[in-house]
Amino acid sequence: MRLTLVLGLSALLAATAAAPAYAQDGAPACTAPVAPEGILAPWSTPGQIVAATNGAQVNAATLAIGQAARISLAPTPDVHYVIQPEKPGGSVSHGGLVAFTVPADGAYRIALGSPAWIDVIGDGRPALSTAHGHGPACSGIRKMVDFSLTKGSYVLQISANGDPQTAVLIVRLP
Amino acid sequence: MAGLALVGTAPAGWIGPLPKGIAPPAVPADNPMSAARIELGRRLFYDADLSRDGTVACATCHEQKHAFADGNITHPGVTGEPGRRNVPGLANVAWFSPLTYADPRQTTLEAQVAVPVAGTHPVEMGMTGHEGDIAARLDKDACYRAMFAQAFPGGHGQIDFAHVRLAIASFERTMTSYGSAWDRTQMSPQAAQGARRFARDCAACHQGPRFTDLAFHRIGPADPAAPDQGLAEITRQPADAGKFRTPSLRNVTLTGPWWHDGSARSLDAAVTRHGKAYAPAEMAALLAFLDALTDREFTQRPALGLPRMACGKLL
Repeated sequence: MRLTLVLGLSALLAATAAAPAYAQDGAPACTAPVAPEGILAPWSTPGQIVAATNGAQVNAATLAIGQAARISLAPTPDVHYVIQPEKPGGSVSHGGLVAFTVPADGAYRIALGSPAWIDVIGDGRPALSTAHGHGPACSGIRKMVDFSLTKGSYVLQISANGDPQTAVLIVRLP
Repeated sequence: MAGLALVGTAPAGWIGPLPKGIAPPAVPADNPMSAARIELGRRLFYDADLSRDGTVACATCHEQKHAFADGNITHPGVTGEPGRRNVPGLANVAWFSPLTYADPRQTTLEAQVAVPVAGTHPVEMGMTGHEGDIAARLDKDACYRAMFAQAFPGGHGQIDFAHVRLAIASFERTMTSYGSAWDRTQMSPQAAQGARRFARDCAACHQGPRFTDLAFHRIGPADPAAPDQGLAEITRQPADAGKFRTPSLRNVTLTGPWWHDGSARSLDAAVTRHGKAYAPAEMAALLAFLDALTDREFTQRPALGLPRMACGKLL
């Protein structure tokens, strides 16, 4: 069975406003990569970050809003999360922590290159996501999760990732 | 839960509270429930080491907040292969046999564990041929060794996939959900009106306290072009084409999208597919009744959630 539904950006937002956004989480068949456009355009020019393995060191792994990065992750048994992830991942999976700063209150989207689980933590508490869906078809963005965040410092926890690396981009939504 | 009575161990092997009028389910003689076995099964249910790359646990698709359904149309496995069927909720699975949408061979929870873990149609957790890896991973954890020894005192703490299945089945049997407004007879007048309509139009199949007859039915004519032929894929009987087991309706408002393939995006769309036309007020009443089958306590019960600790230590 092929993927029959890929939520685009506008579709994801519209669905969130009107009804639950039911995602079909799978990858479409792609013959060539397609560079995402608009606010997701930075996805195509990632930097490199080594994720922290605990909260005390997370500021050494900082990701700027609007800048994509390939994130090197650690084996899950070596990672000490700030809070227990809702999907912790098994001992053979990978994870890590990244810091980011929200410059102004607003809606933010976190794009990932893998189906890893993410938690966004501010003031020691997890932020609730407001929507989730897929990235543009064949862009390499596997999932996107939206959050309503206030100005301040946050920790992005990445857990249950199969590979020791993933890609992340955080953008502010218009 | 309000109104529960401890029913002890009758029939043999069952432990746990149940409301009056709900008979305990059958428990396999070779897998009697115990607190230690349930707790081990709970940890295993949430452990993604049961999947090839450590990314998918039972709980990855069966989320407590969705009454142990998923909230997605389907869910891919560790290889990215899309799921074929919508993730069903797990409320009261202890009473269900057969267990799945369209496989009458899946009659026990113990056996069914192998479907997501080692199945290949589709690949979900991807452990076919690698079941031994599960034991190797768990055996590295001293707490798991202690939990297996306590849960299976006659087996000298042996860790293997067979014992993993027994423990997970024991935990799944504790997923009891009988705390809805309908159970408490506290429905709104609109829901009560919907209940009367439901009794007339729906209860032939969605029957009993779990709102399922556990039988396979087809709604409408068979579609030879459908990618999922349901029961006929197992029985090879043309008459079974398009037949699926009646799903329970407990917590149905939390388990969307609906239908075996997740193709009904709203509950009223799912109701409409049954072929009866309802006036808006009738549909509203039916939906109010279905909402009265929601058991919020079930979705928040700590004993069913992700374990925070094991062997006295934070996980």
